[in-house]
Amino acid sequence: MSDASERLRRPAWLRVWGVALVPLFGTGAYLGLVWSPQDVNQGNLIRIMYAHVSVAWIGFLAVFLTALFGSLFLWRGKRRDDVVSVASAELALLFSSLTIIGGMTYSRPTLNTFWTWDAKLTLTALMVAMLVGYFIVRGLIDDPVRRGRVSAVVAIVVAASLPFNYLAAEWFRTLHPSRAIALDGSGVTMAPEMLLTLLFNTVVAGLVYGWFLVDRARLGHVEAQLEQERAELELQSAPTAGGVVRV
Amino acid sequence: MRARRGFARRRVVYALLGVGVLAFAGFMISQALNTSLVYFILPSEYAQQPSQYQDRRVRLGGLVAPESVRFDDLDLQLTFDVTDGLATYPVRHVGSPPELFRENAGVVIEGRFSENEFVSDNLLIKHSEVYEAPKDGHIDIEALRESLQ
Repeated sequence: MSDASERLRRPAWLRVWGVALVPLFGTGAYLGLVWSPQDVNQGNLIRIMYAHVSVAWIGFLAVFLTALFGSLFLWRGKRRDDVVSVASAELALLFSSLTIIGGMTYSRPTLNTFWTWDAKLTLTALMVAMLVGYFIVRGLIDDPVRRGRVSAVVAIVVAASLPFNYLAAEWFRTLHPSRAIALDGSGVTMAPEMLLTLLFNTVVAGLVYGWFLVDRARLGHVEAQLEQERAELELQSAPTAGGVVRV
Repeated sequence: MRARRGFARRRVVYALLGVGVLAFAGFMISQALNTSLVYFILPSEYAQQPSQYQDRRVRLGGLVAPESVRFDDLDLQLTFDVTDGLATYPVRHVGSPPELFRENAGVVIEGRFSENEFVSDNLLIKHSEVYEAPKDGHIDIEALRESLQ
């Protein structure tokens, strides 16, 4: 394992990316906490929205990419796709948990409750539960190929709930407010400064997600290599040790 | 050859099992969502079938009717009318009004109808998806307070 530290070395471009995140995050926080105007109804509480909505969107993206790379693994069976899928799944769990925590923080002073079982919140809770299930399933299976396949299927099921979750407030009666930005072009019901602040913070959240995705996938790749090498070593030593050879 | 056929058959069994499990999960989700889907009823929906909702715990959603809000801050009695434009009902709620509670604000109240008055024990705000800065750059707290008198 002399090259272990070499394998684990973070490439220069990734370090630059990581350092660049600090001022970007600071700018996003400044836009949200200082530069953005107050809301006519919510006052300063609107500032929580920039963190809550941007994190929620990136959580959706993370779930989507988990399923996308899971599907790629099912399609062509490259270990690398499974590694990226897991990396994204961990971040999907982190971001969707943060969505719930941020949502509760935002909801208590505005909607007057931490939690209610409306369609949007129920679907989000379900998403977190299914992501936890994803990791339980992974922990139960030793064979990397089977593990990758089964967890890819779980990821696809989780991703299938995304459109329902995204459009929940439009399709069902919810306490959660509807979207202020309609992707079908019917308009944005948000002041331009607020929209800019939200989009900037979403880009920053996306870059944070991307950085951790790349870094975690890098580690996952080394992990997969080590797992492979260990399996080969065991296969070599098993017959000479006089043990039972399993094929 | 036999192994391959076995594999093919097993795959069919797995696919059928998978579809079965997904269908079951979908059924469970739709059942669970069913109560969430009709998260609240509207005053006009109550007006159509009052007997169905009488003495049952329901969520009622609507707007706070203008000039109907009374708040007694000594014994925390809040009364207002909730309306959806078609039907209007008086609401009695024990507790102080939430921060975003005001005339024409969207509310979801939990409780039950007793006769034609709604007795609420949980007052939630349903605000719109419109976010904008106040015209003169700051919020008129006094006007807000006045609307709650």
